[in-house]
Amino acid sequence: MATAAVAREAVFALRREIARIEGTLPERLELPARESGQEGLVLRRGGAPERAAGLLRTGSAGLDTALGGGLPLASLVEIHGRQSRDAGAVAGFTLALAALARKRTANAPLLWVGAGEAFSEAGAPYMPGILNRFGIEPEAMMFTRTRRLEDALWVAEEAASLTALSVVLLEVRGPSRRLDLTATRRLHHRTQAARRPLFLLRQAGLPEPTAAPVRLVVSAAASGERETLAGRLAGSIGPPAFRVETSRSRTGIPATFMLEWNADERAFHERHTLPDEAQDHGAVVSVSADGAHPAGQAGTVLARGVA
Amino acid sequence: MGLADARAMHPEIEVVEADDAADRQLLESLADWCDRYTPLVALDGADGLFLDIAGCAHLFGGEQAMLEDALKRLSQQGFRARAGLASTPGMAWAAARFLDPVPVAPGEERATLMPLPLAALRLEPAARAGLESVGLRTVGAIVDAPRAPLARRFGAGVILRLDQALGEVEEAVSPRLPVAALSVERHLPEPVVRSEDVERLVFLLAGTLKEDMERRGEGARFLQLSLFRVDGAVRRLGVGASRPLREPALVLKLFRERLSAIGELEADCGFELVRLSALETARIAPEQANLAGGNGADETDLAMFADRVRARLGEGALAIPRPVESHIPERAVALMPYGGLATGAAPRPVPRERPIRLLPQAEPIDVFMAEVPEGPPRQFRWRRVLYRVARAEGPERIAPEWWLGGRQEEPTRDYFRIEDEEGRRYWLYRQGLYDATADMPRWYLHGLFA
Repeated sequence: MATAAVAREAVFALRREIARIEGTLPERLELPARESGQEGLVLRRGGAPERAAGLLRTGSAGLDTALGGGLPLASLVEIHGRQSRDAGAVAGFTLALAALARKRTANAPLLWVGAGEAFSEAGAPYMPGILNRFGIEPEAMMFTRTRRLEDALWVAEEAASLTALSVVLLEVRGPSRRLDLTATRRLHHRTQAARRPLFLLRQAGLPEPTAAPVRLVVSAAASGERETLAGRLAGSIGPPAFRVETSRSRTGIPATFMLEWNADERAFHERHTLPDEAQDHGAVVSVSADGAHPAGQAGTVLARGVA
Repeated sequence: MGLADARAMHPEIEVVEADDAADRQLLESLADWCDRYTPLVALDGADGLFLDIAGCAHLFGGEQAMLEDALKRLSQQGFRARAGLASTPGMAWAAARFLDPVPVAPGEERATLMPLPLAALRLEPAARAGLESVGLRTVGAIVDAPRAPLARRFGAGVILRLDQALGEVEEAVSPRLPVAALSVERHLPEPVVRSEDVERLVFLLAGTLKEDMERRGEGARFLQLSLFRVDGAVRRLGVGASRPLREPALVLKLFRERLSAIGELEADCGFELVRLSALETARIAPEQANLAGGNGADETDLAMFADRVRARLGEGALAIPRPVESHIPERAVALMPYGGLATGAAPRPVPRERPIRLLPQAEPIDVFMAEVPEGPPRQFRWRRVLYRVARAEGPERIAPEWWLGGRQEEPTRDYFRIEDEEGRRYWLYRQGLYDATADMPRWYLHGLFA
C-alpha cells in the first residue's frame, strides 16, 4: 500500500514537471472522479497555468475557448497550410494574429524569416498589401530569406529572444528533418524568455511531432461580400475569411472555425452564418490603416452578430 | 629568339607560356603580405611594389633593419627580390634596381643618381632611346643640362621623372586598399591555428582599439580583421555595425558570427600577425534614458541582432521594405538593407487592394475561357492545377510608365482579384488587350491575397 502511494506520488511529480514545462492548464491533468483527492489539489497548485495576461484573445469566442482562453503569447505557434497554394491564407491569418499581438507590444517591428524556397515558391511578402490589410507599417517590417534551413533557424532563435521585436514569423516549406522535436522545443523556450510569440508557418507540410503547444491548420474560405451604402455588392470579394482547425491545443479539443478578418477594426469575427448571409463590411473606397476611419466605424455597429 | 631556335640550341628545354593574370595575382598576394609593414602598399608595373613606410620604420627597428627583414622574409618564401629605400619613390625605384639594399639618406639623391644609367629614371623607351642616341647615357649627363631644350626635344616626361627622383616634384603613391582610420595589430612569436585563439586575439585587440576610439569619441561602423598566414597568404574578414560600437565583447560577438559563417579558417601552418582595423568610424552620441523608462536598450539589441545576422548571412540579409513611387507592382517596393541610410521620408503607398505575397516573377497561366474584351477568366490552370473562378473583381488597368522612358512597347496590364471555388484569392493580370494585336493576350498570376 505504502509503495503504491509512493509510486503514485512519483508519477504525479513527473506529470507536474511535464505540465510546468509545457505550460499546460491544470484542468487537463485532473484525475478521474474515483481517484480525486489530495493529489488533484497538488496538481492544481503545481500546474502553474499561464495568466490571462499571457494569452491573446483572437476575438472569436469559440477559438479562444478551444485554445484554452486565447493564443499563448510567449510560445511557439505552428500554423500549417496543407498545400502550397494555401500560403496566402496561412500568411494572412498569421499576419492578422501578428497585428493583434503587436497592439500589446507598442507596435514593435515584425520579422519574417523565409527558409529556402519558401519565398520563391509562394511569393515574397509584399508590403503594400500587408500595410493595407493588416495595418503594419513599412518601417516595422523586416524580412530575411536564407538559403539553408539551419540559417533560418539560427535567425529565428536569436530573434525570438529579443524583446525589441513584437512577432517573429518563420516560414518553412515542406517537411524537414531538422525541424524536429528538439528544434521546436528550443524555439519554444526562447519565446518564453522574451515573452514574444514565434509563429512557425509550414507550407505543404504534414503535421510532424512538435513541441509547439498550439498547432492550427489554416486554409482559405469563401470571403463575404463588400458592404456598401446601397447594401451588399453581389459578386464582390469582401473581407478575407479563413478556415481554422485546431490540430493541437492545450485543451485538446479538435474544432474548426470560420473566421473573418476585419481590416478596419483589426479584429477577427467568427462567422456563424453561411457566407451568403455574412454581413461584415469590407473596404469600399479606402481602408484606414489605423482603424480610425469614421465612415468605417458607422458600418461596423450594424454588422456584428457575434455571440 | 624564336621558340624553334631555342629548341635547336637546347632540345630538352621546357616551354611554359606566360600567364599575365597569374603573375598579377601573385604580385597582388605579395602586396597583401607587405601590408604587414605598412598599410600604404601600391603596385608598380608588372613586377614592383611601392611601400610608403613613413612612420612605420621604427616598429621594425629602423629603416635598415626593416629593409633587411623584408628581403630575408621574401627570400625565405622563394622570391628573389631587390629593394631600395629612399625619400622619393623615384629614387627608391632606382635604388632597388641599381644599388645595394642600403637606405639612401635624404638629400643625397642627386649624388647617388649621377653615375646611374638613364634606365634608373623610369623614362619612356622612346625618350630614353633619343637621349642615348645623342650620347647622353647617365643621369649625370642630363641633370645639369638646360631644361627647356631637353623638354622640347625629348618630351616633358624626362624633366618630370628627373624632378620626381630628386624630390623636387611631389609624387604620391596611391595605396591599393583603403587606409584604416585606426588599426591595432599583434605580431605573434608562435603562430596561432585554432579559431578560439583568433577570437581571443580579436578580443584583446578590440580592447586596445576601444581606448583609441574613446579618446576620439568615436565608434567603428566597419571593422576589418586581417590574418597574415605564415606562408604569406592574407585573409581579410569584415563586419559592419548599424550603430558605432567599440565594446570588445560586442566586436567579438560580430566576428564570432563571421567566423562561424565561413567555417574553416584554413589556418594551415598558422597566423603570425593579426590586425584589427576600424575602416569606418562615426561619432558616438551619448544617450540619455527617456522618462518613459526605456533607454533604447531594445533598439541597441535590435541593431546588434541585425549586425550579427549581416555578419553571418551577408550584407543584404536583413531587409526592410521601402515604398517607391511607382504603379508597377513589382517596382512599388524596394528592399533596403537594414541599418542603411534612410534618405528622407518614404512616400506612403496609396491604399489599394494589393496581395500580401507577390511572386518573384509573374507566372504564366493558361486561361481557357475569359469574357471578351475586358472580363476575368472563368477558369485557369496554374502550376498544372485547374482553378474554377467563383468571383472576380476588376479590372484595374496598370499601364507602363511611359514618362520614365524606354520599355514603351510593353502592353498594359489588366489586374483582377479572383476567388476560386475553395475560397483562395489570387491576383491575375492579362497583358495586352483582345483585338489589339494579332496574338492573343497572355495571362499571368502575380500574387496571393490573404
